[in-house]
Amino acid sequence: MKPGKVESSYSGQTLNERDVIHFDDTGDEIEILPSVHVIKIGGQSIMDRGKAAVYPLIEEIVANKPRHKMILGTGGGTRSRHVYSIAMDLGMPTGVIARLGSLVSHQNAKILHMLLCKHGGVFLLRDNFEHLALYLNAGCIPIIEGMPPYEIYERPARGGRIPESRTDTGIYLLGEVLGARSVIFVKDEDGLFAEDPKKNPRAEFIPKISVAELLERDLNDLMVERKVIELMQTARHVRQIQLVNGLKAGNLSRALDGEHVGTIIHAD
Amino acid sequence: MKATAAASNGLVWEEMRSRLHIRSRFMMESLQDKALIRSTYTDDEIKVLPDTHLIHLGGISIMDRGRAALAPLVEEIVEARKAHQFVLSVGGGVRERHTYALGIDLGLPTGGLASVAWMVCEQNAVMLFNLLAQHRGIQVPYLHFEMLPIYLREGSIPIVMPMPSYFFWDTPPRRGRIPPHRPDTGAYLLSEVWSMRSCLFVKDENGLYSDNPKKNSRAEFIPRISVADLLKLDPPDLPIERSVLEILQVARNRTEIRIINGLKPGTLSRALAGEDVGSTIHQ
Repeated sequence: MKPGKVESSYSGQTLNERDVIHFDDTGDEIEILPSVHVIKIGGQSIMDRGKAAVYPLIEEIVANKPRHKMILGTGGGTRSRHVYSIAMDLGMPTGVIARLGSLVSHQNAKILHMLLCKHGGVFLLRDNFEHLALYLNAGCIPIIEGMPPYEIYERPARGGRIPESRTDTGIYLLGEVLGARSVIFVKDEDGLFAEDPKKNPRAEFIPKISVAELLERDLNDLMVERKVIELMQTARHVRQIQLVNGLKAGNLSRALDGEHVGTIIHAD
Repeated sequence: MKATAAASNGLVWEEMRSRLHIRSRFMMESLQDKALIRSTYTDDEIKVLPDTHLIHLGGISIMDRGRAALAPLVEEIVEARKAHQFVLSVGGGVRERHTYALGIDLGLPTGGLASVAWMVCEQNAVMLFNLLAQHRGIQVPYLHFEMLPIYLREGSIPIVMPMPSYFFWDTPPRRGRIPPHRPDTGAYLLSEVWSMRSCLFVKDENGLYSDNPKKNSRAEFIPRISVADLLKLDPPDLPIERSVLEILQVARNRTEIRIINGLKPGTLSRALAGEDVGSTIHQ
């Protein structure tokens, strides 16, 4: 028997050729859910603050429901940091650490779900991705854990062992694959600063910056995962993201309406 | 920002009781700080399955050839299991390619393609399991990976489906839409995270060449090369996924992979015994 014979002009192709486009990939990519906003609720920045930060934010999210379709994703926060530090100390490889981190964002998604349940919050398992349209059309707010499902298939981190693809990355990629209308990161600072504003209160605020500029500045600390910035370079749909302060009432609503209220990072 | 009162054992309130933290070296860190990331680098990662080999059978190169290629290989695998402990994985092959071609024509994004392609690898894993069942083959789904030590100790031949679980979250490549994380990458990542004894890619050529030997008869055989040199050489085509090379550069545990010819009887057994057959790509 001869090798692979579903005859086509692609026979013998390895898919590993140098930087070529395979299978006449010249057409447009579909937008799966172009009307939906994907919102990341920070772990350390929002969830770990408890009622004081989470309740008003939930109120604001619910108030926006009649006008906007939203998917919420959660970060990990201090429990992620703790389990990372223990796992690191035990000599765990990156892939195992990613698996551990996934469970904390899962917890936060379940917590957020319980809080939003009476307002139509539904917990979205990754396996139920195909139910998204149903939930949204029924007026629900799907809530998903932020970590991408890579787990033990996470790439070893460059120069460290903290997984590079964490909850910001998972939420960004969710927005990108859906062709979402916007991806908004809700955190506890006004946006991006040149340094961690919690360590240096005089850090320079950056209201708007391109991916190229951001990569060139190569900041020592960053409010959003570096992997997101890297992925934005090749994104087909989500060419900009906004980081907003979720502790300030009204910010998220304004960002959903397309206003510039925090930091916009754009790829073009 | 100061952490003030200790709330209770290990828990720390931030000023004004605004946040409750857990005391750890990462407490209140963004995890993006470069010095902090560097501090997490260590060479003594634990060894998870250091005595077990990973054998990955190519999709197009082995599975799609059917009985002619598989019957002798299965015999060799069963025989080799008496002396070696290994996990088998298998790629997708031509149906995986068909899935991509069709999906791209329909406009699916990268994550969408990755989410439908794994079923093809699953089919191949099912077939491999059925071939090996009477010889203690056992198919181990992703969620049961923690059971592998039992299966190995019991003398089984565990078979895994190596399409990595990136699904809708696979990363769009620079050009085109083919998911960059495919079965070779998944198989290699397993051998890395589990610090396995070797990672053997069983294909239908003697190893690595300077170009696709099926298309270019003057392609030169490369018996051993570092990943840095290989990337510098930048061959127009490769027998393994490019993501494997990217990851090999930063790998901690499995810093060498081998590509061997599964159509030549005895090659796999020799590779398992540590002999220098096929091509080696090393860090």
